[in-house]
Amino acid sequence: MSNEELRQDVRAWLAENWTDDAQRPGFNRAAWLRKVHDARWLAPRWPAEHGGRALADEQARIVESEFKAAGAPGGNADRVNIPANTLLEFGQEPLKQRLLAGMLTGEIQFCLLYSEPNAGSDLASVRTRADRDGDSYIVNGQKVWTSGARTADYGLLIARTNWDAPKHKGLSFFFCPMKQPGIDIRPLHQITGESHFNEVFIDNAVVPADHLIGKEGEGWRVLQTALAYERVLMGEGAAERRKGVEGESRADLIALARAYGKLSDPVIRQEIANAIAYRRLNELNALRAKTEMAADKSSASPIMSLSKLAMSRVLHNNARVMTLIIGAEAMLDGAEHPAAAETNYRALYAYINSIGGGTDQIQRNIIGERVLGLPREAEPDRDIPFRDSLAVKGAQPK
Amino acid sequence: MAVTEADRHAIRESLRRLLADRCQEADVRRAIASDAGWDKDLWARLIELGLPGVAVAEAFGGLGGGEIEIELAMEELGAALAPTPFFSSAVLAASLLQHAADQDAQRAYLPAIASGEIIATVALTGDAGTFDEGDVAVSAKRAGGDWTLDGVASFVTYGCEADILFVLARTPDGIGAFVVTTPSALERAPLKSIDPTQRLARVTFNKATATRLAGADRDTIERALDAARIALAGEQAGAARRIFDITVDYIKTRVQFGRAIGSFQAIKHMAADLMIEVESAASAARHAAAVLSNDGPDARAAVNLAAFACADAFSKVAFDAIQMHGGIAFTTAHPAHLYLRRARFDAAFLGAPNLYRERFISALENNA
Repeated sequence: MSNEELRQDVRAWLAENWTDDAQRPGFNRAAWLRKVHDARWLAPRWPAEHGGRALADEQARIVESEFKAAGAPGGNADRVNIPANTLLEFGQEPLKQRLLAGMLTGEIQFCLLYSEPNAGSDLASVRTRADRDGDSYIVNGQKVWTSGARTADYGLLIARTNWDAPKHKGLSFFFCPMKQPGIDIRPLHQITGESHFNEVFIDNAVVPADHLIGKEGEGWRVLQTALAYERVLMGEGAAERRKGVEGESRADLIALARAYGKLSDPVIRQEIANAIAYRRLNELNALRAKTEMAADKSSASPIMSLSKLAMSRVLHNNARVMTLIIGAEAMLDGAEHPAAAETNYRALYAYINSIGGGTDQIQRNIIGERVLGLPREAEPDRDIPFRDSLAVKGAQPK
Repeated sequence: MAVTEADRHAIRESLRRLLADRCQEADVRRAIASDAGWDKDLWARLIELGLPGVAVAEAFGGLGGGEIEIELAMEELGAALAPTPFFSSAVLAASLLQHAADQDAQRAYLPAIASGEIIATVALTGDAGTFDEGDVAVSAKRAGGDWTLDGVASFVTYGCEADILFVLARTPDGIGAFVVTTPSALERAPLKSIDPTQRLARVTFNKATATRLAGADRDTIERALDAARIALAGEQAGAARRIFDITVDYIKTRVQFGRAIGSFQAIKHMAADLMIEVESAASAARHAAAVLSNDGPDARAAVNLAAFACADAFSKVAFDAIQMHGGIAFTTAHPAHLYLRRARFDAAFLGAPNLYRERFISALENNA
C-alpha cells in the first residue's frame, strides 16, 4: 500500500468512527481504544497476530499523525507503551494472548519495580529474590520509587534468581501481579511535600512461572531493552513533559525581579542573564543535535547525552536566582506566600532531574566513558559470584 | 550568488588541511618567536585560499560569504591559535566597510583587503579598554574636505602592522568612523600582550589627516561589530574544543596509581562538565552567526549570548585543562598555557563577559 493510500484509509476510518472529543469529561477512553484496536490502528507496527499491520516506521508515523490531527487517541501505542513492547519482544505466547490487547488500551495498568534501597545507581545489584517453586516464583524483597503502584495490575519486576552468578547474570524479569496479599504499598513523602512515589514491600508474593519475561538469568538484557524504549521517549521530550521539568511553567526571572524591585540591581541582572543563558544553551544544543542527526541520518548524537546533566544546572541555578530575588521571603512557605512557596518548591524539585533517572554523577560517568571514551569505572563485583560481593556481605569498617 | 553548504564544506576542509600542515604547535611557536611576531607565510597561504575575502562581496573580489563563513573559519583558526591578521583585516575592517554604505571607500579598500594585498584594522577603544562608546578617546575635527584626528586609541589589533587604519572617533554629530591611509605616519607603539600569538598596539593621533566613512553611524558600526563578536565567539568555541580534545587524549594515556587518570571520577567528571561548555559554545556561536546573517528578530540576544557564553566557556575549559594535565601544563613546553593566554585575551577583547551579559538581559527585557 502506498503512503497516500494508507493516509486515505486512516482518514476514511477516522471520519466514519471518530465523533467524540477526548477532552470531554466522561470520555470513555478504553472503549474508544478497544474500537481502534479492533480496527488494527492502535499498534500499526505490530504483527497481525497481535492486532497490528506490520507497518514500517515511516508508515506507522502516518497513522500516528492522522490520529493526532483528528484529535483522536490511538495510533502510537506500539511506540509509547513500554510494558507492551517488552512483553511482545520477550514474553511467552499465552501471556501475550492474554494481556497485550488490554495493555494497549490501557485497561491493564503497570508500574516499575526496579530500584531498591540498596540498588539505586547500581541497579544490577538488586537483592529482591525470586525462587522457583513448582509453577510459580516466590518473590521477597523491597522496591522503591514506584509511581502508580496502587492502580497498577502488574509491576515490571527485576529480581535475582541466581546468587552464584555475577551480578548482571543472575537477574530475571517478571510481570508481577500487584493485587495480592504479598504486596504492601506505602507512599514515600518527598521533600517537595508531594507523594508521587511508593515503597513496595514484597513478602512471599506469587508470580506464575509463565509471567517470566525472557529467559531466567537474562533479566538484565530485557531491562536494557525496556530502558531503551524509555530513552527513545525521553529523547522526544516525554520525560520533561511527564515530570514537568521543562516547558510546563518556566520561571520568568525578569518578571519576578521586576515585581520585587530588583531588576535594576546589577548583580541580580548578571545572575538572571546566566540563568537564562544556561537554559538557552541547552536548547541550542538540542537544536543543533537534531539538525546534525537529520543531516547525517543518524539516530543518536553525543550532544544529546549532555542535555540531562545540563538541565540539572538549569534547574538548580534557576531556583537559586529566584531565591536571590525574593530575599528574606524565601524563609516563608504556604499559600499566603506564593512566590516563596514556588521558589522553595523549585529549589527542592530540581533534584528530580539531578538524582532521578540517573544522578548527575552517573551521567558524568556515562558521558566520560561512552562519549569521550575514558576508561570504565572500576567495578570490583562485576565478575564475581553475587553472593560474595559487598552488596551482599556488607562493607566492613576498617 | 549565495554561498552553498558545499562551499562551506570546501572552505572548512581546505582550511583544516592547510592548518594541519602549516599551523602545528611548532609553527605557532616559530612565528611568535620571529621578528615579525606573527606568521607571514601562513597568511600568504590563507591568501592563496582566498580566505581574507571570505566575507567580502563578490563584486569586490571576495567569496561573498557572511557571518556563517566567518564563524566557521574562526573556529578552525582559533583551534590552531593561528597568528595572522585574519580577524583584524578580513573581519573587523571588512565588516565595517561593508556595513557603512560608503561606496568610494568600499571600492578603494575592499578589493585590496579581499586579495590580502593590504592588512587593515579598526581602532575601537581608548586606554580604559571597555570597547564601548564611552571609551572612544579620539576626536575628529573638520579640516576642509577632510578631518583631523587627535587622541589615543589602544588595544588596536595588528595596529602596528596595518597598512590602513580605521578608527572610531567623536564628532560633533556623534561617533563616526575614519580611515587613515598612511598609518605609518602615526605614533604607533606595540603593547606587550599576555597572548604572544596576538598583536596589539597603542596609537596616538596628533592632528592626523583622515577621511570620514560616509554612512558609518552608530547603528552600522554596531552591526559591523556584531560580525566581529561572532567571529571572536567562533574562535573561542574552536579553541576551547581543541584544548579539550588535547586534554581528553592526555587523560586517557597518563597513568598514575596504575590507572589512566581519566578513569578517576575526579578527572572524568571534570571532562564531562567541560564537554557541556565546549558544545554549548559551538551551538551559541553558530546559532548567532545564522541568526545575524538573516538579520533575524532575536539577533541582538543571540549575539550577546554568544559573546559571553563563548568567553566564559573557553576560559573555563582552558583553565581546567591545565589543572587536569597537572605539572606538565605548568611548563611552557606544553601548549596548554597558550590556550589559557588566548582565552584571557579573548575574554577581554571587544568587551568583558559582564558587558555582554548586561546587553543580553537588556535585549530580553526589550523583547518582552
